[in-house]
Amino acid sequence: MRQENLIYNKQSGVAFITINRPDSENRINEALSQDMREVVSDISKDEDISVVVLTSVGDIFCMGDDEPLRDIQGKLSSNDLETYLKNNMVASAISSLEKPVICALNGHAISHGLELALACDIRISSNRSFFGFPGISEGSMPWDGGTQRLPRSIGLAWGMDLLLTGRLVNAKEALKIGLVHKVIPKTKVLGEAFSLANKIALMAPIATRYMKEAINKGMDLTLEQGMRLEADLNIILQTTIDRAEGINSFLERRAPLFKGE
Amino acid sequence: MSDFETVKYIKNDDVAEVVLNRPKVLNAYNIKMRDEIYQVFSAVQEDPDVACIVLRGEGDRAFCSGADLTEFGSSPSRVIARDVRWERDVWGLLLSIEKPIIAALHGYVIGSGLEMALLCDLRLAAQDSIFILPEAGLGMLPAAGGSQTLPRTIGIPRANEMLLSGNQFDVYGALDFGLVHKVVSGDTIVDVAMTLASELARYPRGPMVAIKKAIRRGIELPLEPALNMELRIAVGSMAIDS
Repeated sequence: MRQENLIYNKQSGVAFITINRPDSENRINEALSQDMREVVSDISKDEDISVVVLTSVGDIFCMGDDEPLRDIQGKLSSNDLETYLKNNMVASAISSLEKPVICALNGHAISHGLELALACDIRISSNRSFFGFPGISEGSMPWDGGTQRLPRSIGLAWGMDLLLTGRLVNAKEALKIGLVHKVIPKTKVLGEAFSLANKIALMAPIATRYMKEAINKGMDLTLEQGMRLEADLNIILQTTIDRAEGINSFLERRAPLFKGE
Repeated sequence: MSDFETVKYIKNDDVAEVVLNRPKVLNAYNIKMRDEIYQVFSAVQEDPDVACIVLRGEGDRAFCSGADLTEFGSSPSRVIARDVRWERDVWGLLLSIEKPIIAALHGYVIGSGLEMALLCDLRLAAQDSIFILPEAGLGMLPAAGGSQTLPRTIGIPRANEMLLSGNQFDVYGALDFGLVHKVVSGDTIVDVAMTLASELARYPRGPMVAIKKAIRRGIELPLEPALNMELRIAVGSMAIDS
C-alpha cells in the first residue's frame, strides 16, 4: 500500500511506516496526517502485525510542520485554529496504537517531528541527530502532546529545560537524558530497529499489547490501582493459548511458538 | 534466627535481614516463599527493635531467578486465581512497610526477583548482577507490580524496552538507568548493604518513616495536595507533642 506521503509495508509481523517527503525535510501537513490516520487504522485491524517501526526517507526524521505555526498564529479564529491543528495531528494517531511502536530516528526530530517521535514507545537514533522544541523563540508551543509526553518520558527537570529554553540536544545528550535508547551510525538505525522489532514480535503478541496498556494506563493511576490493573490483565492472559505455550516451552526448554490466541 | 523453609530471618540489633533461601533453585519464588515472606514482613513491620531491613538472596548465583513456573496453572479457576492474588497480598504488604528496605542484589535478578527489588527503597547491586523481565516471552505480564514500579522507577521509555523486548541488562546498564543506586564488588555486597542499613538505622526514626511516607504518597498526588500532605507529615513527625 502506498499513500502519497507515507510508504507502508509489512515484513514478518512487523509493519513499517516511512514518512516520504524528503524534499520537504519530511515535514508534516494535512495530507500526511490523513495518511497517518489511515495507516494506523489498518495496522490496528491487522492481526498479522504485532510491532510497528516508524521512520523516514533520507537524512532527516522530521523537521516539524510544512507551514510553521508562526505563519498561522493570530490569523485564525479559535474554532478554525483548533480544526486546523486537529487535521495536522500525527502523534495522537501513533499513540492510539495498542501495539508497540519503535521509532527509527534516521536524523533530526524537531518540534512536531519530536512530538511524533515521543508518541512511540522506544527510540533508536542516528549519532548525527538533533532534537528539540525551538518554537518558543517564535512564541509557539507544542500542541500534539509535546508538553505532556516529554516530561513523562525524561522527567520534569530535563523536560522544563528543553521546552522553556528551546535549545536543541544532540544524540549523545539525548541518550544521557533518556530521550532515546540507543545511538548508532545512521546506516545501522533501521536494521537495529528491525532487529528489536523482530525480538518483540517473537513475544506473545497479546502479552506485549497488554504490557503497553499496563505501563501507559497504569502510569495515570495510583500505584495500588495500577497493580490491580496489572493483576487483572494477567488473569485475562491466563485464558490465552499463548500463555500456556509460554510456560510449557519454558519447562520443556524449547523456544515458544505463539499464535496470538 | 527462624524456622522458615524458604527464607531466613536474621536480626542484628536494629537491622533485620530477610534472606531468600532456596539457593539450589536460584531462590525461585514459590507459594511457600510467598507465605513466609508475608509472615516475616508482617513481623518486621510490628517489631519496634527493627529500624531498617536488608533483603538479599542466599548462594553465589542469584538474588532470585523469578517465579517457580512448575507451580503455574495450579489454580482451579480464574476467579479463584484472582481471589487468591488479593487474599494474601504480599506485594501490597511490602509496599506498606514504613521502614526503609534495602535490596542487596547479585547474580540473576529475574522476573519477580527484580519486581521484589523494585518494591524496596534502595537497590545496591554486585558487579555480576543480571537483570531480565522475561514475562512477555512467556505470554504473561509481571505479577508483582513490575509493569507499574519499573516505569515509575526508570521512566516509561526505558521500561518499555525492558518489558517489551525482554532484553537482558548488566549492572552498568542498570546503574545508567537508575535501576540500581550503587555497584559494588560481589564479595562485599552484603557488608556494604548492612553498613548502609546500620547508618539509616541510626537516624531518628520518626523523620525516616515520614520521608518514605511523603515520597510514596506524594508521587501519586497532584503537586498542590502533595505539598499540603508533606506539611502535615512534617508537622506530625517533628512537633514536640508528636
